[in-house]
Amino acid sequence: MSEEVKIIEKKETPSGAAMLFGFPDVGLVGVIAASHIISELNLTEVAYLDSRLLPPLIVLHEGLPHSPIRIFGNHDILLAVSETAISVDVIYPIMHALINWGRSKNVKIMISMSGIPVQDRRDIEKLKVFAAGSSPETLKMVQDKGIEILKEGYMVGPQAIMMQYCARTGVPAVTLLAQCFFNYPDPEAAAEILKELANITGIKVDVSKLLKKGEEIRLRARDVMRRTQRELSKMKKTQEYDIPLYVS
Amino acid sequence: MPIRRRRSIFDIIDEYFESLEERVKRSGETLIERPSWNQKTCTVEPLRDIMVTPTEIIVTVDLPYAEESTIRVKPIDKDTLEILAKMRRKIRFDDFGITHYEGEFQTFQCQTRIPVPVYMEKMEIRFKKGFLEIRLPRKHEYEISRE
Repeated sequence: MSEEVKIIEKKETPSGAAMLFGFPDVGLVGVIAASHIISELNLTEVAYLDSRLLPPLIVLHEGLPHSPIRIFGNHDILLAVSETAISVDVIYPIMHALINWGRSKNVKIMISMSGIPVQDRRDIEKLKVFAAGSSPETLKMVQDKGIEILKEGYMVGPQAIMMQYCARTGVPAVTLLAQCFFNYPDPEAAAEILKELANITGIKVDVSKLLKKGEEIRLRARDVMRRTQRELSKMKKTQEYDIPLYVS
Repeated sequence: MPIRRRRSIFDIIDEYFESLEERVKRSGETLIERPSWNQKTCTVEPLRDIMVTPTEIIVTVDLPYAEESTIRVKPIDKDTLEILAKMRRKIRFDDFGITHYEGEFQTFQCQTRIPVPVYMEKMEIRFKKGFLEIRLPRKHEYEISRE
């Protein structure tokens, strides 16, 4: 594990779990989905990330300090979530440290929850979820579950590093991407991700509360979205709109 | 037919630098970090986005809890819009678990600068699922013709 990023364990963690990632990105889809999983399944904090690469920031909950990047879990899930936008300069070491830690726990699959921005999002009633896999086997697995594959295109952000590193190290990994707003928190997209997560892993989470609280989440998530927008701009997130030049 | 006085190149350069100074001043304002809420005016600033197309400017604003009948979009000058909307419910800091600030908010308020000349009087507004969409046709003031 990288010395500059440490994962500090607070509780015993399960072996062979599914490891999920919910990081600030377009529409805050992953963070909203992760937050809903934690509250619905009563996940507890099992570990946290400590690094001098992060800004001098803690998150206070009930008066006590917490790392902005934490891992929650139960007997069959590990969920890494960040409560702050991650700077493009530190995404690599942070993702590598989290994945290496997950490998040390023999996780069976890593799943990143995120979004894919669409320009006419306001007019779309039924949001699509796409998937990308780290290997032909994982790709077949999601296809067999009826999820549409993101065949060609660019992926930018923490999930891009996860896919690349997992492909290299042989860890099965999937990225789920729901159609979403680029610049606005999107609880509806998060709900769609959770439905497909249940389809792949069997981790069932009731999304009715999430949809009911949609407006409250949009209001509450404004500041995180604003800061995430700045980081997305620095990491050239709009490249996901680009049409790639295919090189065989 | 009125006779238009031809502007000298120096007038045009002066105008250009004046507008550049104004832009720098504006960008300086937006670079200063400030909260997205204002306790004095009891307002919160909504998230918004501007898209420039060849024919129009599309401003979108996220207005959760907004009461449609209270939405006001007012041009402040030729390139600035003020957007106001009342929420259906009052929001307090302690609704979000924040106890070290006091205050309640029931209004969204923001000012948005439009980056290119537009016809403010031809503004079209649509509100759907808590999102406001403002469309402004572009005014093409300067056109360079090929000789």
